[in-house]
Amino acid sequence: MLNHLDFSTYLLPQVFIILLISLPLHVSKINQILIAFGLGLLADLFASTPGFHASACLWLILLRMWILGRIDLKEQQANHLQFNIKNISAGTFFYVTSILVLFYHLYLFSLGSIGAIDGYRLIITTMLSSALALLIIVLIQYITLRKLGE
Amino acid sequence: MQRLLAFLEHNLYLILFVLLQAVCAFLIFNLNPYQQASFTHAATSVTARVNQTTSNVTNYIGLKDQNEHLQNQVAEIFLSSPNSVLTYLNDTIDVQDSFTRSMYSMVPAQVLYNTVHKANNVFVINKGKKHGIHKNMGVVSSQGVAGIVLKSSNEYSTVMSMLNTNMKVIPTINGSEFFTELIWDNEQPYSLKIKGINNLEEIEIGDLVATGNSSLLFPSGIPIGRISKLETKPNSQYFNTEIVTSTNFRTMEYVFVIINHKANEIGNLIEDVE
Repeated sequence: MLNHLDFSTYLLPQVFIILLISLPLHVSKINQILIAFGLGLLADLFASTPGFHASACLWLILLRMWILGRIDLKEQQANHLQFNIKNISAGTFFYVTSILVLFYHLYLFSLGSIGAIDGYRLIITTMLSSALALLIIVLIQYITLRKLGE
Repeated sequence: MQRLLAFLEHNLYLILFVLLQAVCAFLIFNLNPYQQASFTHAATSVTARVNQTTSNVTNYIGLKDQNEHLQNQVAEIFLSSPNSVLTYLNDTIDVQDSFTRSMYSMVPAQVLYNTVHKANNVFVINKGKKHGIHKNMGVVSSQGVAGIVLKSSNEYSTVMSMLNTNMKVIPTINGSEFFTELIWDNEQPYSLKIKGINNLEEIEIGDLVATGNSSLLFPSGIPIGRISKLETKPNSQYFNTEIVTSTNFRTMEYVFVIINHKANEIGNLIEDVE
């Protein structure tokens, strides 16, 4: 939906990846891979970019596994909790999400510019889109938290 | 085996990841025209380089066969084309008729062993009796006369080089035959000598010395060398003539053995007369 908002040619935030980032922590690695691929294909279907989002989602989920493997989340895993601001500290969530969002946008835009990479445009688009996506994700997280609190 | 299965089970998600990435790559480069064009361009560049390298290697490996093929072609040209690039046989072919064209045939050969610094130099070629080569056949290089076959086994032959003190050839200078012998006296490498040419003869430095009609081993007109030195000693009526060989014996790699099919017949006739 947000792809259709013509903020500018430099703003293409991919917010749907929060669904992958916030997957429950107990989900097996194989299932994570399959979910990422499925979600990516769905995004490709809507964006008419066959393979782009699917590939980016697969890398994102692999990177997520690698980062979360280095953080002590045994308790959250045991309680089948999601990776969100409520269950994880805000700092850790923001830190992990920032890396994943930045990586996702960089990879996606790099794929899109294969054969004619404009480094300056790529960096600007990645930074602006990632910042906006991160802002929206954090907002969604707080709105969700508030609703749950009520 | 159990370890292998355990490893695969532990890393199954990575295998799945790679497989799904391959599916993604297929989708990206097949269903997106721009990416497909870029991929095709990149793939073409890579395959072109690989093909070029492969071609270079196979060409290098095939050089031996190509050399043999070229040698055979040169031998054919020697005997069939009056406009041959190896013009020194032209006179022979132009003057002689179709009967004499079949008088000679040539067997291309590779030089396997060669000496140039001895008093009696020889070289060995990779063709022998099996290829129709026998003692006393002329051998030429692409530059000129190279030697005479001394001995043949089934597969190989030893050839007496022009740089051999036993080598004697009756030469022509500028087409005129001088009934004297051209010899190598082992004094200077690549320098042959002719003695007994009267100093009244009109010859100069640079004149072509070639084979004549008095030999059954070589067709006439094949270069032997060029006059490099012409001296007249006091109180002598003969030139002291030195000739630089046409053939570079130091770098000689391929030669042709000349088979004179009429040598025995003509030789017998000459013996009868003598």
